[in-house]
Amino acid sequence: MKQDISFVLNGKQVAVATTASRRLLDLLREELGCTEVKEGCGEGECGACTVLFDGRPVTSCVLFAFQADGHSITTVAGLDTAEKKRIQQAMIDAGAVQCGFCTPGFVLSIKVLLEENDKPDRDEIMDAISGNLCRCTGYERIAVAVECLAKGGGA
Amino acid sequence: MSNRKTTVVGAPLPRVDVHEKVIGTAKYADDYQLPGMLHCALVLSPHPHAEILSVDTAPAVAMDGVVAVYTGEDVPGLNQIGCVFQDQPLFATEKVRFVGDRIAVAVAETRLQARAAANAVRVEYKPLTGLFDAREAMADSDTKIHTGGNLVTHQKVRKGEGADALERCAVVVEKEFFVNYQEHAYLEPQGAVAVPEVDGSITILGSMQCPFYVQGGLARALGIDKNQVRVIQTVTGGAFGGKEDYPTEVAVVPALAALKLGRPAKLIYTREEDMQISTKRHRMRMLFTAGADRDGTLQVLHVQQWVDAGGYAGLSTVVAERANTTAGGPYRFPNAHVDTFIIYTNNLFGGAFRGFGNPQVTFAMENIMDLLADKLEMDPVALRRMNLLQVGDLSITGQPIPESAPSVEILDTLVEQSNWTELQEEAAAFNEQNRWKKRGVGLALSMYGCCLHAGGQHLEGSGALVQVRSDGSVEINIGGTELGQGAFTIMAQIAAETLGADYRRVRVLPSDTRMVPDSGPTVASRTTIMSGNATRGASLQLRSRLLELAGKMLECPGHEVAVLPGRYAGNGREISFGELCTEAFARKLSLFASGWYAPPPKDWNTQTGQGTAYVVYSFTGHAALVEVDLIGGLPKVLKVFAAHDVGKVMNPALLEGQVHGGIVQGMGWGLSENLILEEGRCLNPGFTDYLIPCSLDMPEMDIRTIEAPYPDGPFGAKGIGEPSLISVPTAVAIAAANAVGARPDELPVTPEAILRWSQ
Repeated sequence: MKQDISFVLNGKQVAVATTASRRLLDLLREELGCTEVKEGCGEGECGACTVLFDGRPVTSCVLFAFQADGHSITTVAGLDTAEKKRIQQAMIDAGAVQCGFCTPGFVLSIKVLLEENDKPDRDEIMDAISGNLCRCTGYERIAVAVECLAKGGGA
Repeated sequence: MSNRKTTVVGAPLPRVDVHEKVIGTAKYADDYQLPGMLHCALVLSPHPHAEILSVDTAPAVAMDGVVAVYTGEDVPGLNQIGCVFQDQPLFATEKVRFVGDRIAVAVAETRLQARAAANAVRVEYKPLTGLFDAREAMADSDTKIHTGGNLVTHQKVRKGEGADALERCAVVVEKEFFVNYQEHAYLEPQGAVAVPEVDGSITILGSMQCPFYVQGGLARALGIDKNQVRVIQTVTGGAFGGKEDYPTEVAVVPALAALKLGRPAKLIYTREEDMQISTKRHRMRMLFTAGADRDGTLQVLHVQQWVDAGGYAGLSTVVAERANTTAGGPYRFPNAHVDTFIIYTNNLFGGAFRGFGNPQVTFAMENIMDLLADKLEMDPVALRRMNLLQVGDLSITGQPIPESAPSVEILDTLVEQSNWTELQEEAAAFNEQNRWKKRGVGLALSMYGCCLHAGGQHLEGSGALVQVRSDGSVEINIGGTELGQGAFTIMAQIAAETLGADYRRVRVLPSDTRMVPDSGPTVASRTTIMSGNATRGASLQLRSRLLELAGKMLECPGHEVAVLPGRYAGNGREISFGELCTEAFARKLSLFASGWYAPPPKDWNTQTGQGTAYVVYSFTGHAALVEVDLIGGLPKVLKVFAAHDVGKVMNPALLEGQVHGGIVQGMGWGLSENLILEEGRCLNPGFTDYLIPCSLDMPEMDIRTIEAPYPDGPFGAKGIGEPSLISVPTAVAIAAANAVGARPDELPVTPEAILRWSQ
């Protein structure tokens, strides 16, 4: 049995019918075309499926689709363009990307960190990205990208 | 050549593939959603060793959305997927040999329907005795996992004398070591999409390291020619060896469905499936004995080691060849006897993983060096230094170490950068002051043979296709693959440097079997050397054509024209690269060239393990400072120092990325990543309980590189992908044990071990 839900996805209202057991991740990827949201582990550990839920980072693999009803969901594609470019340019400049599978999740976690704290130190950065796993970079260049953003870089 | 000043090669340029990755539009295998696409789910054995009595697919076939269920009987070609030996059925029909052996595939309209159908397939088993210890399995003649017995192969090194020579040594040390599995934990799970083409051929879009392996495996199992199988690598979310041979097993399943049903089909593993059934770094036991003179000169190495292959051979014999031939690490042994046994068990499937058998023996060998130093009452650094292999010295395979072997410089650099003496003193001072936290230091060296072992040299050739368009933009196809390591970026740099083209206008296209000859695998830290030399070769052909044309345009002999960034100069004048290419097109000059690089054959004696094992070696050193908490036993890596011999730094940003990544992945295996098995079943098949390092686990990292050009490498380069990891687990394990005054004998070093040693 399906239930109608509606929510704001990347700034646009969407209305879909979903089963009770469907994961938010699957709804986003399979039905709404948001393949920038990745599935890495399916148990909320790796952060590749991070989306912003009313502005807070959550792992969409451990949320049901119906939980989005009436809320706002933002993927990396839905970030404000200037802000997105700034974070992404900093990651390019810092060499923070290798295989890239984890990258969209990191971009969202970094966005939220900088909203709350525009001058994070190294410990605060490492804490803020600790919910996103990366197997390639050793996190060092990702942290450097955030430090660069904190100094006004990435523009 | 290698000393020539370069402008594009050697620069910290951004990756060629970075834009689509940061904006999230890069398409990984699971991101392909094609019209009419079906979904596959596997039926897997829950038993480690059992006879299959019956398989009933009827209940699954009757379910909603299910299109078909296939078993071994439905395989049109050979029901066989073994990579080296033909010992592994694509779908098991008579018996299963590990938890996760494939029995059938359910194909349905949706992923959930496919999974439900897979769960509904009824398989009756008769459980057999399982073998879970490699040494016991080798001795067991009652239980045979395969009809030929449980020993896959026995590899040897025979240089000089063996154990007899130990009697003449002033000191002898012996120790047995155990290293557990490591999971690759690439963030993107295994997956592939198969597309049936109108001409009856099949196209694969998949996450992989080796498209040509996939092509060959599919042709055999599907009973079609290789030219009917086109394999395109999708953007790949990490691999680390785990996507070397294994993706063939993944891709063939949707390929079978697509071929039979005429619709695209997809198979994506869940993380749990991936951790249980795909390959792992091998679990090994190693009994190392070494003898030295009173002054520390090494005399004898005697090794017996047991490699747990799991239920099928896969690449185990190839991995073991590295463990066999580089067991002596970077040291000179006049006498070395090594016996490496590769053994079937009913455990997890052993396979390729960054370092490929070398990290295991490095752990044993480096600990043996420390134990020898203890016994000789020598400084472990001095003991290592006096025994390091240098150019011309004979390795344990009797091979003279070729040019580019700055082993002593690496050790000296590591000692200098880590302030090794002070680091030890600081740790000791800290330990005086603290009762519940202790610090330790560890140092480890390694030697890694770049490119394929002599036994695999039939695969040692790589191609590239370079095309320059009339507007000066460049397209490259290579047979190697981009896994995140930056191979495509290095190729763009090599082509831009050689041609004088604009780096930002060089595109490296997805790896595609249709574009380039079989170039072997993207493994063995060989891509910069192999694909790099092929790209360089193709670019040089075009460069000579362009030089001749430029000479005509500039009114001087072609050999007097200089290739500069973006322009060609001669006779006091210049033309831009774009103008030159436009003119070349107007004059119908072909700016299309293929390159092929194959190093000269290596001599190798399989019986004695003597000969030219590898074309060149990379030397590496790591030092670590680790703090342990004596209440919970938890280790925290504080500092890691890395000294790397790379031939030539092609791109410092990418190099640093590889080294950082190797440190973190190596730390994981050293201290926190522990796969726990119960009768062949992985008890922690997920990231909740299998702990890969997160940002909070990161140490301070200090990296030094030494450029001793490799004469046959492009611009002097050697490999870096694997050396970045190899000695890290050993350095952090030694450091963690050192904190509590112990020498480690197992990997990973668990909190339990730390508490045990601290008693």
